[in-house]
Amino acid sequence: MTSLMVQATSSGAGKTTVAAILCKHFTLNGVNTVPFKAQNISLNSFVTPSGGEIGMSQAYQAWACNKEPQTDMNPVLIKPHGPGQSQTVLGGKPFNGTREEIDKYIADAYLRSELDNDLVIIEGSGSPVEINLVDRANMAVADMADAPVILVGDIEYGGVFAGLYGTYSLLSEKHRQRVKAFIINRFRGDMSLLIPGIDKLEKMIGVPCAGVLPHANLLFPSEDSLDFISGRGSEAEGTDIREAWMENLERIYAISQKYLNYPLIESFINE
Amino acid sequence: MDEDLLKKYWSIVKTELEEFKPGPNEDCNYYPCHFKGQDCAYCYCPFYPCMDERLGKMVHKENSDEEVWSCQDCFWTHRSDVAKLISENFPFSEEPPSDEFRSEIKKKIEEKCSVSAKPLMILGATSGAGKSIIASAFCRIFSDMGYNVAPFKSQNMSLNSMAIADGEIARAQYLQAVAARTEPEVSMNPILLKPQGDDISQVVVNGSVYRNMTVTEYYEDFTLNEGVEIVTNAWEYLRRTKDIVVIEGAGSPAEINLSECELSNMKAAEIAHAPCILVINMIRGGAFAYAYGTIALLSSERRKYIKGIIFNNMCGSADCLEPGIKKLESMLGIPVLGVLPHIEHALPEEDSQDLKSSKDGSEVAIVHLPRISNFTDFDALSLSGVSVKFVRQPDELYSARAIVIPGTKNTFADMAWMKENGFFEVLKELRGKVPILGICGGYQILGKGIYDTEGIEGDVKVAEGLGFLNVSTVFDTTDKKTVQVCGRLENGEEVRGYEIHMGKTESHEKPLITLDDGNPEGAISSDGMVIGTYLHGIFDLPPFRDYFLEKSSISNHEEIDYDAEVDKDLDLMAETLRSNIDMKVIMKILEDGI
Ligand code: SF4
Repeated sequence: MTSLMVQATSSGAGKTTVAAILCKHFTLNGVNTVPFKAQNISLNSFVTPSGGEIGMSQAYQAWACNKEPQTDMNPVLIKPHGPGQSQTVLGGKPFNGTREEIDKYIADAYLRSELDNDLVIIEGSGSPVEINLVDRANMAVADMADAPVILVGDIEYGGVFAGLYGTYSLLSEKHRQRVKAFIINRFRGDMSLLIPGIDKLEKMIGVPCAGVLPHANLLFPSEDSLDFISGRGSEAEGTDIREAWMENLERIYAISQKYLNYPLIESFINE
Repeated sequence: MDEDLLKKYWSIVKTELEEFKPGPNEDCNYYPCHFKGQDCAYCYCPFYPCMDERLGKMVHKENSDEEVWSCQDCFWTHRSDVAKLISENFPFSEEPPSDEFRSEIKKKIEEKCSVSAKPLMILGATSGAGKSIIASAFCRIFSDMGYNVAPFKSQNMSLNSMAIADGEIARAQYLQAVAARTEPEVSMNPILLKPQGDDISQVVVNGSVYRNMTVTEYYEDFTLNEGVEIVTNAWEYLRRTKDIVVIEGAGSPAEINLSECELSNMKAAEIAHAPCILVINMIRGGAFAYAYGTIALLSSERRKYIKGIIFNNMCGSADCLEPGIKKLESMLGIPVLGVLPHIEHALPEEDSQDLKSSKDGSEVAIVHLPRISNFTDFDALSLSGVSVKFVRQPDELYSARAIVIPGTKNTFADMAWMKENGFFEVLKELRGKVPILGICGGYQILGKGIYDTEGIEGDVKVAEGLGFLNVSTVFDTTDKKTVQVCGRLENGEEVRGYEIHMGKTESHEKPLITLDDGNPEGAISSDGMVIGTYLHGIFDLPPFRDYFLEKSSISNHEEIDYDAEVDKDLDLMAETLRSNIDMKVIMKILEDGI
C-alpha cells in the first residue's frame, strides 16, 4: 500500500532499468510489488495474456516482479505515428475519448494496483521539467500516489550534474520536497573522480546520492527512441530474449548491491 | 626609416611586387621564418614599419639603445590571402609611396583579412548535442561569406582520427576544415586523446603520439601545465593566420568534478577570449533542465562567456517551445538564438560517443522508418552475435547481410518516405541477393499494394508496394488486432510472437508459419528470399533467428562514395542554420566578444 517513483533528467536515462532493479529487489525481499507507468509514449509495445496492449517496459518490469504483464501496469500507451498524430491505447485497447476519462482511468488503475499489492514502483516519463508543457506523467502521478521520488541522471553523454541540478531547480518547491535521492547511471571509469562532484551536488540541493550504477554491457529492452540504443549489450547469453533480459537484470541487480544504497532507498517506503 | 634606406627598401619591395612569387619558398635557408606553410611573396613587407602593435613591436637592437620595429611575430603579410591582396593593391611606383597611402591600403586589406581572428565557441550541454556538426555548419557559413575560417578543438577524445599532412587530428576537425574550405592542420586539434581502455588514453600532441596517460595523470599533471601551453600556442597560430576561428568544446562545461582542470571548454574559451554558444540536444527531453543546470553550475566569471543558447534536434514544430523559452531566457538572462530541426544527414557524429555500428558487412540492416514501431523486435538478434544497424540512407543497404523492413505506425506515410528516399530502387536491385524480411507494416510494404477504404491511416486510399510478395493489404475496419500467438515454421520448429496491427493481408504465397490454431501466418516467396510476417517478437526464440540468418550470405557490394555525400550535407546544415538563426545576431556576438 505504498509507492516509490523513479523519474529522470531525460528519456533514455535508465528509468526503466532502475525501476526494474527496484521491482526485483523488493520482490526478492518478499514485498508484493508491481510496476506502474501512468502514461507511456512508446512505439515498443507488448500484448498481455488477456490481449491488451501495454508498453514493453512495463511487461519487462512485470517479469522482474515475477508477475504476468497486466494492462493496469500501464493504463495509457500513446503511440505517435506522425507529426502531431498519435494513437491512444487505454486499458490495452485503442481509445477515442476525453482527457477526463483518461485521467479517471489512470487514477482507478493506480488504485487497483495499490490495493492488490504492497508496493507500487512507478516509472515517470521523459523529464519532469518540460516548462513549456503541462506535466501529466511525472509529478502529477507522484502527487496522486503521494510517492517519494528518486531522480536518475545518465552520465554516459556527460552533463549529468547539470541535468540533475537543472531538473531539481526547475521543479516547484512542493515537488522538490518529493525528491528524496538521486542516482547516477552508466558510469565508466574511476569512481573516485566523480566523488567531488557528487559531494558538491549533494550540498547544493540537499538531496543525497543513492548510488552510482556502472555502465554494464548487458542487454535491456530497447529504450523508446533509437537514438539511444546503448542497452544493446554484447554479453548476453541464453536463447530466449525474455530469459536473456531477466538473466541480465539479475546480473545488473547483483552489481547494484555494491553500488546502490538499498537501506537508504528502503527508508523512503517505510517513512 | 631615413630616406635613403627607405628608397633601398622600396626597390626590393618593388621587385617582390613585380615578380610576385606567391606560396612558401622552401629553398630558402630561413624557411619557415614565421610559420610552416607561410607565403614568402613579401619577405620584405610593403608596410614596414607599420607600427601596428597588434602585429609587431619595438625592440632594442643588439648591444645598443636604439629601438627598431620588429616583425618577428607578424604572420599577417605571410598569409596567402593577404599576400594576394597586396599584389593586387600596390602600384609598382618607382618612388616609395607615402606612409598615409600605405596605411590606407593596409586598412583596406584588413577589412577582408583580419589581423586577429575572431573566435566563436560552440559548447554542448552533453556529448552528442550536435556541437560538432553545428561548428561545421558555422565554418561553412563563414566560408561562404568570404572569410578565412579555421576550426579548433583544444582537446578531443576520440578514436576517429584522420592522418593529414603534418600528423593526426580528430575526424571531426578534419570535417570542419573541409567545411571551412581550408587545409586541415594539426593546430586545429592540438591534443587528441585516444582511449585505450576505461582508464588509459594515448595522448597525441600536435599530430604526433606523446605518450599514454591515465585519466588521473592527464587531469592532475598534464592539462594545467603542458596542456595549457600547447593549446595556447595552437590558438595563437590560428588567431594570427585566420579571420574567424570556430572553436568546439567537449562534453559538458559543467562537470563540477573536473571543471578546475579541464581544458576543452571554459579554459579554452578563456585562452581565446571566445564568446560561447551553448547547444542543447532536444531529442532525449529535459532540454530546459540541461540548459539551466549547465549555465547555473558555471562560476559567475565564466557565465559571462555564454552569449546564447541553441536548441538542436527539434522534432515537430518549435512553436510549442515558445513559453518555455521565454521562461528560460528570463531566468538566465541569456537569449535563445534559435531552434534547429532534427535533420537527417550522413555526417559523422562527434566525440567518443560513436554508437553507430561498424560497416564491416556482417550486419542486419533495419530500415529506419520515420514511424518505426516495436524495434525491441531486434534486440534478440544480438543473441546470435549479429549486430544491427538502423539505416536512413538506402546506400547503406548494400553492405548488409540481410535486410529488415520493420513495423510502422503508419504504413502509407512510411512507404511514401521509402519511395521518396530511393529505398525502393535499391531494394529492387538487392531482391534475391540478400534475404529481405518485412515485419507487420514492413510485411505490408513487401506486398503488391495497400488499400485504405475507410481512411484509417489518413487520406491516402491506395498505394503500390514493392511487389516482392504476392499479397495485398486492406484497411477496411477500425478493428485492431492485438493477440499473443504460437506456431511452427515449415521445418516444424517453434515460433512465438504477438500481433498488433490494423488491416488484413490476403496472401497468394506459401505461408511462413502454421499457427497452433491451424491458421496460416505470413508469407514466403518461392525462392525463399523474401519473407513477411505480422509477428512481433519473432526473433525472440532461436529457430526463426537461425532460419533467417542461414539465408544470408556475406554479400560483397561496393561501398558508396562517402565524401561526395559529406559536402552536400555540409551545405544542407549551413542552410538549416541560416534559416533558423539570425546571422546578424551571430555576427554581433562575434564582433562584441566577451
Ligand atoms: S608588423 Fe607585419 S604588417 Fe607591420 S610592417 Fe611588420 S610585417 Fe608588415
